[in-house]
Amino acid sequence: MPRTDFGPPYYGDMLPPVIKRNYGKWAYHEILRPGVLKHVAESGEEVYTVRVGSARLLSTDTIRDICDLADKYCDGYVRFTSRHNIEFILSKKENIEPLIAEVKAKGWPVGGTGSCLSNMVHTQGWIHCHTPATDASGIVKAVMDELYSYFEEDKLPAKLRIALACCLNMCGAVHCSDIAILGIHRTPPRVNHEMLAKVSEIPTVVASCPTGAIRPNPKLKSVDVIEERCMYCGNCYTMSPAMEIMDPENDGISLWVGGKVSNARSAPMFSRLAIPYLPNNPPRWPEVVEAVKHLVEVWATHARKGERMGEWIERIGWETFFKLTGIPFTDKHIDDFVFSVPTFRTTVQFRW
Amino acid sequence: MPKMVLAGIEIEVDEDGFIQDPDKWNEAVAKALAETEGVTELTEDHWKVINYLRQYYLQFGIAPMIRKLCKETGFTLKQIYDLFPSGPAKGACKIAGLPKPTGCV
Repeated sequence: MPRTDFGPPYYGDMLPPVIKRNYGKWAYHEILRPGVLKHVAESGEEVYTVRVGSARLLSTDTIRDICDLADKYCDGYVRFTSRHNIEFILSKKENIEPLIAEVKAKGWPVGGTGSCLSNMVHTQGWIHCHTPATDASGIVKAVMDELYSYFEEDKLPAKLRIALACCLNMCGAVHCSDIAILGIHRTPPRVNHEMLAKVSEIPTVVASCPTGAIRPNPKLKSVDVIEERCMYCGNCYTMSPAMEIMDPENDGISLWVGGKVSNARSAPMFSRLAIPYLPNNPPRWPEVVEAVKHLVEVWATHARKGERMGEWIERIGWETFFKLTGIPFTDKHIDDFVFSVPTFRTTVQFRW
Repeated sequence: MPKMVLAGIEIEVDEDGFIQDPDKWNEAVAKALAETEGVTELTEDHWKVINYLRQYYLQFGIAPMIRKLCKETGFTLKQIYDLFPSGPAKGACKIAGLPKPTGCV
């Protein structure tokens, strides 16, 4: 029998000695410049962190490159952040500049701290998943290329968190990000009646539909989709390979804004719909990139210092948000799912 | 779809070895499928699990939840793993000729 159930290796074994010595005894920290942090312990010991962007999907060769840099400057210690950035932890201040020079020579960006745009949390896309409505890595590359300077420079009103999910399973953080890019379908699934009963469980498929649009069809030993009730979530395809929903012409992207998870200043918020549909346009997705850049710029010009996207919108009101961004407000923006009433306006307070 | 010869008959299977037509299943096919899952001998306990899965599927059209399987057969999940090393879904359901589990497995 192979050895099983032994869990991940103990993280304490992989901490740099300076972190281990001062664990739980940190006094304060500073951001020396975008991408470089300094933490000072109660003992007076200092530790420097250089944060480097990564593409998340990495080859073992790249990981070996990262290890080589860690061996050279950090005694072999390195970590990844919860947004897939690489953090080199240095105990010697004089190592910062040579490390940054070497990182930059490889073409990797240093930044992502403070009021910067950090890395984009994203998903599998066409690389690996079977339910996506769009790609992940491709759009992330296109968007980050355009917003590169926001990663490297501290020039935004507050933190900017952009996330991407390639279908509305929303793996990751799209439901709670300042700007969220989400793949959507716009056509109902195509039922393969011959295959359905063989490869899936009919009751499970029926129960998977949030709007009750799927009914069993005992005669065909299959199911029927009531198309007027279907809003193309694709959940039935997750449950049954016989409910194919992908459609290259009509699949695309929706943009959401104003989510956050921290409790700083205001409570955590869900992101809400800003743009219902943009086409899939690989390899650079110019429409999506343009729309995201525009949202960032409008927010950066109008928000107060420290104001996240959602807090800014809440202060100015959604009608002003749509006016300032020039995004047309459509029927698609009006919530119509089960308990939608609280999202309607129940006051006469509004701006013309 | 690839085909496999199981117990002398040619049966369509998917890339994970789940049979594509539940109607083609019989005890001999189960024995042949068991070999692909590291179960060398189907004991009485194995059959208890397989027959329960099969019966539940034919009656309700779905595979039972793990809790239900454990409660009705009297085996703990650990015992099920002892019987079917690749687990109740990939092991027992495959041998019982049920459709492949779907969702975010």
